[in-house]
Amino acid sequence: MRNVRPILVKTLLTGAVLVSAVVANAQCRSFAKNKCVPELAPFKFNETFNAAQLAPGEEAEVNLTFYSGQEYRVMVCTHPILGEVNWKLVDENNRIVFESLADEPKHHFDLKAASTVPMKVIVWVPGAGKSDMVHVGCVAIMVGFKE
Amino acid sequence: MIAMRTNLWPVYLVVAAFLTACGGDPPAQDTLNVDNGLDTAKDERIAKTKKIFYSIPSPMETAALLKKAGAEYNSKILNDVKNVDKYTAASQQALNLGVYGADLSYASVFNHTQESMFYTSCSRKLADRLGVMSAFNDSTLELMQANMNDRDALLDIISETYWNVDAYLKENGRDNISALMIAGGWVEGLYIATQVSATNDTPDLRQRIAEQKLSLNDLVGLLGSYEVEDARLTAVMADMKALQALFAEVADPANGNAVTEENGVTVVGGGGALATLTDAQLTAIRDKAAAIRNTYIN
Repeated sequence: MRNVRPILVKTLLTGAVLVSAVVANAQCRSFAKNKCVPELAPFKFNETFNAAQLAPGEEAEVNLTFYSGQEYRVMVCTHPILGEVNWKLVDENNRIVFESLADEPKHHFDLKAASTVPMKVIVWVPGAGKSDMVHVGCVAIMVGFKE
Repeated sequence: MIAMRTNLWPVYLVVAAFLTACGGDPPAQDTLNVDNGLDTAKDERIAKTKKIFYSIPSPMETAALLKKAGAEYNSKILNDVKNVDKYTAASQQALNLGVYGADLSYASVFNHTQESMFYTSCSRKLADRLGVMSAFNDSTLELMQANMNDRDALLDIISETYWNVDAYLKENGRDNISALMIAGGWVEGLYIATQVSATNDTPDLRQRIAEQKLSLNDLVGLLGSYEVEDARLTAVMADMKALQALFAEVADPANGNAVTEENGVTVVGGGGALATLTDAQLTAIRDKAAAIRNTYIN
């Protein structure tokens, strides 16, 4: 019985972690759907769900392709618990096309593609500073296009 | 209240008709192995896929691009709705959810509402069998039926449903199913474009097909996250690499790096040449896409 208890505790903890991850992800989808998608208007959401739970110091990136002749809106939408984040749009040579920093945030960037180009959106969450509290929050990277 | 109920009867009847139009009871099915172990390799994979995303153009975006490029609608090239009950393996269901999703987007963008409803019904059946009912249920069909004559509203409902299914799969740790669905949709989009080009060849359409070289790279990146763990994904990856070899012959469309401004809007990719395909390249890609798609739908 004594041997069973640690296994049981470990199993319960693992289960709790998995359940909380699913719940957090579901909240992330709900947040992205209700808060972020409407802000893409008048652009049409490209239907790709790129969202992650990030903590201070963490980074996410999305590889995407912009097609010639099309207009796009790139948007980074962050849950308020995380505060503002830094993000940039870079071309295939890592040259910055657009950058938004947390102290002067811009939540979206509109562009038109003259030729078809691969680009990357990089998001990084500023460090937690002196606080002992680590906030984890949803960051959604969305793209809208004009039909 | 009674009047409202009465008014909904035609909708229920039509929805029931669509459901029966796409086959009967679901046959017994096997399952796609999902490794639930918390081993190091999986932790690394989760960490990798959690932070690095590959944005593949959605079926709706691809269909809209095709329409802009002057493509025509051809219902004969789409996957037969009667095939839906053949898909018993979860991996087949996932691939064909993507295939039917692309067919649905193609029919809807070109305003073929009746066919859209049939493909919606097939997609819903496959989503049901994959356990994604909460993202795609009867109320979605009713909503589509109620908006049948409003193309924009219909496209919005289809878009939202597609992203609900994709998001549901990802947030429930079934990224491999999501990846197969995305791959199936992408292959069907390429298949449609190349088949349409056989009878309705335009420079714009060739350009759009050539540009898929870049999306294919992203798709290979996405599938590469799972290659080790899932046999079906490994097979799909081999298919995509075979296509990649053909696209390698196509001149890289992404060589424009000038950034300018036009009426207050940033323009990227200036100075780049537009992508194109030779006859031989187009034929080779068309044949390969058809062969791969054939193995997915049969």
